[in-house]
Amino acid sequence: MHAAKILLCAAALSALTGCSTIKGWFVGTPQPPAAEALLTSPDKPELAVIVHDGEFAQIQQFVTPGGVSVWLVSEPSIPILAVQMAWKGGTASDPAGLEGLGEVVTYNMNEGAGDLDSLGFQTAMEDLNMDFSCGAGGEWTSCSISTLTENAAGAMSLVASAFAAPRFDEGPFERFLREKEVGLNTRETNPNYLAWRATAKALYPEHPFARELSSESLGALTPDLARQHMRALVTKDRLLVTAVGAVTPEELAPLIDEVAAGLPQTSTLAPIPPIDLTGVAATEAVIDLPQPQSLVRFIGPGIGRDNPDFFPAFVLNYTLGGGGFESRLVQTLRVQKGLTYGISTSIDPGPTLKTWSGGGQTKNESAGEFIAGIKAELAKFVESGVTEQELADAKAYLTGSYPLGFDSNAKIANQMMGVRQENLGVDYFDRRNALVSAVTLEDVNRVSKTYLDPARYSFFVVGQPQGIEAPVTP
Amino acid sequence: MKRSLAAGLFALFASYAAAEEAAWAPSTFTLSNGMDVVVLPDHRAPVVTHMVWYKVGAADEAPGKSGIAHLFEHVMFQETKNLGPGEFDKIVSRSGGQNNAFTSWDYTAYFERVHKAQLGTMMGLEAERMVNLVINDDPKGPFISERDVVKEERRQRIENNPGAILQEKALSALWKGHPYEITVIGKMEEVAALTPQDGLDFYTEYYSPANAILVVAGDVTPDEVRALAEEHYGAIPASGAEHGPRKWQSVAPLTETVLLTHADPKVRQPNWSRYYLGVSQRRQPDDALALDVGLEVLGGGMTSRLYQSLVEQQQLAISASTFAWTTLHDEGPAVISASPAPGVTLETLEAAVMAEVEKVLAEGFAEAEVIRARNKLAADAIYGRDSQSGMAETFGAWLALGGKVEDILGYPDAVRAVTPEEALAAVRAVFAPEKHYIEAHLLPAEGDL
Repeated sequence: MHAAKILLCAAALSALTGCSTIKGWFVGTPQPPAAEALLTSPDKPELAVIVHDGEFAQIQQFVTPGGVSVWLVSEPSIPILAVQMAWKGGTASDPAGLEGLGEVVTYNMNEGAGDLDSLGFQTAMEDLNMDFSCGAGGEWTSCSISTLTENAAGAMSLVASAFAAPRFDEGPFERFLREKEVGLNTRETNPNYLAWRATAKALYPEHPFARELSSESLGALTPDLARQHMRALVTKDRLLVTAVGAVTPEELAPLIDEVAAGLPQTSTLAPIPPIDLTGVAATEAVIDLPQPQSLVRFIGPGIGRDNPDFFPAFVLNYTLGGGGFESRLVQTLRVQKGLTYGISTSIDPGPTLKTWSGGGQTKNESAGEFIAGIKAELAKFVESGVTEQELADAKAYLTGSYPLGFDSNAKIANQMMGVRQENLGVDYFDRRNALVSAVTLEDVNRVSKTYLDPARYSFFVVGQPQGIEAPVTP
Repeated sequence: MKRSLAAGLFALFASYAAAEEAAWAPSTFTLSNGMDVVVLPDHRAPVVTHMVWYKVGAADEAPGKSGIAHLFEHVMFQETKNLGPGEFDKIVSRSGGQNNAFTSWDYTAYFERVHKAQLGTMMGLEAERMVNLVINDDPKGPFISERDVVKEERRQRIENNPGAILQEKALSALWKGHPYEITVIGKMEEVAALTPQDGLDFYTEYYSPANAILVVAGDVTPDEVRALAEEHYGAIPASGAEHGPRKWQSVAPLTETVLLTHADPKVRQPNWSRYYLGVSQRRQPDDALALDVGLEVLGGGMTSRLYQSLVEQQQLAISASTFAWTTLHDEGPAVISASPAPGVTLETLEAAVMAEVEKVLAEGFAEAEVIRARNKLAADAIYGRDSQSGMAETFGAWLALGGKVEDILGYPDAVRAVTPEEALAAVRAVFAPEKHYIEAHLLPAEGDL
């Protein structure tokens, strides 16, 4: 993996003058903003809008004159507009040794642009009663805008300036570094972070997903590197937009074009290789932390969305630990034994890292009993699967509660973005309940046998647990 | 996770709704048994949020029984005359519903979110447990295991978290002698001693239609809600339960300044804060509005005076902010807090923060920053309308405190009317030099840094 990155940098060396570590990641040559302006014709042909009149949302799909693909739900009842933007490629694309680069890029997106310094930009947002912020995930970079519709034009112009002329001033850049320096200290007593780190180091230590900020990587970051990296992360061709609010496609399209006008057309990021957990031996570890409770996390190989067992697993997870009080783990470990305030499980279909995982907290004295209880429940799924009634209950909840995810503008914008990111199709909302309903008892019990074998699960315990025989990491 | 604690610590900062169009205007009416009803139409999705608020909270607990309001809320999910153990949750889930509950000092609320076709079923369930709860006194039964669950909840929320431990101490010191003195979840040893009989007594005293408010938000009309509410709740006889007035009382000013320190090996970043006695929207409505505006200017966000001075210019802090908890019935804290930049002592930080506070109080606010602050608070109310459940909570909480629907509808206009002089006066009144305060230092354990 590491070697592949070096090769990319070497290839880029010939294409670009002066390959900094960063440029190695972008094999394509970013086009200058001037070239983009030519793509936006002043003549406006009628906007072609394809309307998907679904059960949960009437989605209007269109491509703006400037070439940006948008999914919009027009919702006139509240005078607000929510816009989400996302680009494939996130912090896993930080070059080795420059961990934090993607984060410093997104941190600075609302910290000054054009004539406005950080305070000027923040003040302008307040004057418009708007919000604009960006964030970097492992595989995605995203930004969101919310504005009152009466201020939409001004809000979108401000965002446009952030994309076209971000400043990366020393003030906010250094502030980011100070905050992260503090973060390097506080994370060392954060149980969730410690569990994550132990997981990454045990299961995929060589993968970009296991890399993290360090004082060395922070020390290597510069505003120039951030400027270059922004042009690789945030491009026009990979931009996905979803929006919900009191606007029409015709009103929104020019605003989106203005926002995207300053983005480079394209860039190339090295693909992130998938992690195959099925080939990794399960393990157990204790991370010492002086506190009264132990955090227990367990994690095993999961299922991708392209696998026919995805929906059976999704339904099965409800009975395992996804269904709150209707799940067996909560029934046994909370309701019957009073060992925890909460325990839950979830499946993450990746694509890079597919997992089935769960966790909860219990007092240190009962950590051994808690973990034994989790394993015993997993084993019961393998031995005897679920009952017809449990399956029916899971399907009833999962299908019946689906409309609850569509009762606000923000939720609909999020749901649509999820569909776009995972490429599920504009009719996914309408198909989804049928996919859940089609799951059979045979399906879930087959998946139980394959995926819920306790031997497949690694356990990471943070605290000062009793009754566990696993190596302790200080 | 279900059955949580609202406002146990700084959890609930209600934002208010804007009154813009009559289309979403709430309706209110009262059933013949005294149960108040609020309907908040929102026709964007075929979904409703159904909430029952009881006008009882941790402030009403008897001495030595801290935590009963919250533990009892857990017990409400266990068993009724007509519903076996766990059946309540099972019916809600099979109906495609999500349910939860939370307890504050001032109220206890239960809710279900469902497709609108299931609203009647949810009302039937809530009505059932309003009158027919069964509290099992089996020592291995659900009351005892829920008590253990609450102890785990306390460990998870407070005892695992040095910042929460210190905050609990600071709030107790601020509210010394007031019913808010003990945190909602209660003292560990008092929770451990609560009995099924305590639960039954609490239920008998406080759970009745006249002591409850029904809030339904979502894809319904007032007429639909009225018909269903009459059918399910209207049949419950007016309460025979008697209880005295709420134990609310004005919070006495602090008579001395106290320094609390908490050192813990888990602390890797110190924190400095001062808790002054603030005001509440119920008791001092005008002052509370003005204080919210003033603290937005002084320490509300990145453009605030404290952030710009301490974080941006002097670079002595990584955070600096002010906040007033005005949404409790009685007076809550107004807090100034800051976290030092690497290498800066709390003493240096404190001196710089207080110098800036004093400078602002002496020089006053610019009109433009006050306009920005009040417009932000007014706009937050419009954004808040996007959340159906958030709206139901805003109205339910305010009505449970004895407030009126009109107060919420009038909030944007009221907050826009706050003048720079009023905002400044409200901040000066709370942080005046002669006021006592609780100062809290969160520190790494000795030798840890």
